[in-house]
Amino acid sequence: MLKFLEATAIAAVAAAALCGGAVAQDAGAGKRTFAKCAACHAVGPGARHRVGPELNDLIGRTAGSIEGYRYSPAMTKAGQGGLVWTAETLQSYLADPKAVVPGTKMTFAGLKKADELANIVAYLGTFATTAAAPPSAAEATPPLAAPAAAATPGAATPGAGHVLRLGRQATPEEIAAWDIDIRPDGLGLPKGKGTVAQGGEIYEAKCAACHGGFGESVGRWPVLAGGQDTLQNDRPEKTIGSYWPFLSTVYDYVRRAMPFGDARSLSDDDVYALTAYLLYLNDIVTDENFVLSDENFTAVKMPNAANFIDDDRAQEAHYHTGAAPCMTACRPGTATIKTHAAVLDVTPEEGGDDRQPAAGIQ
Amino acid sequence: MSQSNESAQGPSRRRLLKAGLAGTLAGGLVTGRALAAGDPAITDIQDWNRYSGPGVDAQPYGTPSPYEKTVIRRNVPWLTADPVSSVNFTPLHALDGIITPNGLCFERHHAGVAEIDPAAHRLMINGLVETPLVFTMADLARFPRTNRIYFLECAANSGMEWRGAQLNGCQFTHGMVHCVMYTGVPLRAVLAEAGLKPGATWLLAEGADAAAMTRSIPLEKALDDCMIAFAMNGEALRPEQGYPIRLVVPGWEGNMWVKWLRRLELGDQPWQQREETSKYTDLLASGKARRFTWAMEVKSVITSPSPQAPVRHGRGRLVISGLAWTGNGRIAQVDVTIDGGRNWTAARIDGPSLPHALHRFYLEHDWDGSALFLQSRAIDEKGYVQPTKDALRAARGSNSIYHNNGIQTWYVGTDGVVENVEIS
Ligand code: HEC
Ligand code: HEC
Repeated sequence: MLKFLEATAIAAVAAAALCGGAVAQDAGAGKRTFAKCAACHAVGPGARHRVGPELNDLIGRTAGSIEGYRYSPAMTKAGQGGLVWTAETLQSYLADPKAVVPGTKMTFAGLKKADELANIVAYLGTFATTAAAPPSAAEATPPLAAPAAAATPGAATPGAGHVLRLGRQATPEEIAAWDIDIRPDGLGLPKGKGTVAQGGEIYEAKCAACHGGFGESVGRWPVLAGGQDTLQNDRPEKTIGSYWPFLSTVYDYVRRAMPFGDARSLSDDDVYALTAYLLYLNDIVTDENFVLSDENFTAVKMPNAANFIDDDRAQEAHYHTGAAPCMTACRPGTATIKTHAAVLDVTPEEGGDDRQPAAGIQ
Repeated sequence: MSQSNESAQGPSRRRLLKAGLAGTLAGGLVTGRALAAGDPAITDIQDWNRYSGPGVDAQPYGTPSPYEKTVIRRNVPWLTADPVSSVNFTPLHALDGIITPNGLCFERHHAGVAEIDPAAHRLMINGLVETPLVFTMADLARFPRTNRIYFLECAANSGMEWRGAQLNGCQFTHGMVHCVMYTGVPLRAVLAEAGLKPGATWLLAEGADAAAMTRSIPLEKALDDCMIAFAMNGEALRPEQGYPIRLVVPGWEGNMWVKWLRRLELGDQPWQQREETSKYTDLLASGKARRFTWAMEVKSVITSPSPQAPVRHGRGRLVISGLAWTGNGRIAQVDVTIDGGRNWTAARIDGPSLPHALHRFYLEHDWDGSALFLQSRAIDEKGYVQPTKDALRAARGSNSIYHNNGIQTWYVGTDGVVENVEIS
């Protein structure tokens, strides 16, 4: 205990020294800065772990040491290696978390301003349960805990964050009414089932007018089937079968947005049947009696799933010339025209006979 | 502005060639004759100088001068199947400065404009939170507010140009961008109210329209600089821009700025929605497709002269003007060439230089009347240089649809008519 108090005092001195005279610590201002942390961290009486661990009694505590919170291996190791949270270590961590603890799972870009760093440390210092807060911060803030502590427990208590106490708790019925999204792992799938044949009937009645009897599309409405092995062609055809990586997207999208102009009108079983039928139109299932349900849904794999890669635009050669852009005599010869928009002449004009190019917007 | 009168004849090159040049010629003669006795704009007493005009309240909500009636959003009907799921374009050629007027901000809807009664609108937060919450619009107005100027660019802006010059007018080639000042509340403040649970790493934003538009956003971005906006340029959001509230995702593709925002769900993985799988993934020549290409890259375009804003005044002083922007923060420099990229001159950036906002640039030029190949090239504060279209195609092929930030070429003929071209 004594050691802890000492550490606190030393930390306060260290922080003051670190910041020199230029940056005064202001726990009150630090409280405002904490808004950037509050979504992930709680402080004050009754604080629980959120995305990140609770931050009471932080000054003097070993990094990665709070029980009941699953740290990244990197943070646990840093603590075992002797990283203790002092004003100084905190400031450097908060300025650039990934530089100080490489591999930390705190996805926070970092505080850029010296005064913000000093203030947040001063503010966090006020949550020492063991003793008075560091002198510099003591009078600046009454313990922040006030709102949380004052809030009456019970269903009417708004926001567990208790930051501003705005809004009210959502009821399970309300959440069920709106939360209809489906994830690739099946989270959100309702109970239900439908066959290819049932789907065919619904499709004929409610979808074929726009998307065509075989998903080939009528006019300019989206194509839903075919196009396998065209992704490297001059005119690729991106459909559920040729392109979509996940089946959950079909269920989710049809349920939330189709039929166009009459969204949310299909039953859960209708959507299972339609999804099964769209698999059939894309030759991913071939049996008309195939039954798609919440039980076998995640077993269906989409043919193009492996062909999606993460954003690597920054690695492209044209961004890596390294040289300053050329300003004079950059290219030989004089410019000559390769293509004219006026020759393609697809620019709209009132009353014009617009020719239509092959590829529209998606 | 003068350009806008010129575009009264519409964006057709053929019409411009016929009518435009005849007009210039005739105009010159009239001016020549008139000047002997004095310009009738001065020597005649104009109606507006004699008779009183309409009083206050003639238009309780003001509209532009009737002489600006051609400065409007326009669409390209053949691009999409139905105007309800379609797009129109900001008339960039007729605008100046960095702020887009609310009524001219391009529209992109997937199921038309949701006409929402704010009294019946709610924002829900659910998923991996300690307390799922519901807010009314009045609740949201009680959070601390912030004002920020940001550009919003659709990832498909310039998407029709991947295979070569196609549309004649920067309204159509680059008009899926706008820039306004948003008033709203930081997203992190609203999320903090619910308290995020351990494991929360992704956010799903959902709209209340008939497309129930959804996008997955990494939590790091959500907590960094995203906003829930309820006003643009000082007034309530326009219905077509998401009234009563929309998400603001600075520097990232417009589709993520979910309009008519009604729900935020926290989770531990992305939802793989239609708009991040079937759409807004960038197909490469290899047949692989990039996903989660959120940031908009460094880009610029000369807005005047451009096909809809030809040069009418003949040789002599010419103001070349344009816009530059980047999802990486600020624009550091814009260069302009008049000879198709042989030689470049640094343009003058004028007005505020704000992160994730449009930047306005000018190059004052003495035109000798010869044909010009105009291009602009932006460089952002992270050092990214706007690539040529050829460099982009070499890296990606022509089937990406999205994220075309290649350098645009306008050919200015000796007659002042401007065309969209590609050059070697
Ligand atoms: C996006 C969520 C998020 C935000 C925002 C965030 N943190 Fe964290 N924080 C975490 C996570 C997750 C960890 C656990 C890191 C690990 O295990 O690698 C953590 C760890 C920490 C630790 C180490 C705690 C310990 O027990 O060792 C401190 C101190 C800390 N955060 C302070 C802050 C402060 C102060 C802010 C605001 C300026 C902030 N964090 C913002 C998620 C966040
Ligand atoms: C009135 C015409 C119309 C009808 C009827 C219709 N759709 Fe659609 N469908 C559309 C349009 C338009 C889109 C694209 C919407 C957009 O732009 O976001 C679409 C998109 C889709 C997509 C996504 C396509 C892609 O490549 O991303 C699927 C899947 C789909 N519809 C399935 C259905 C099903 C199943 C039905 C019947 C229950 C149906 N649609 C009925 C017009 C229609």
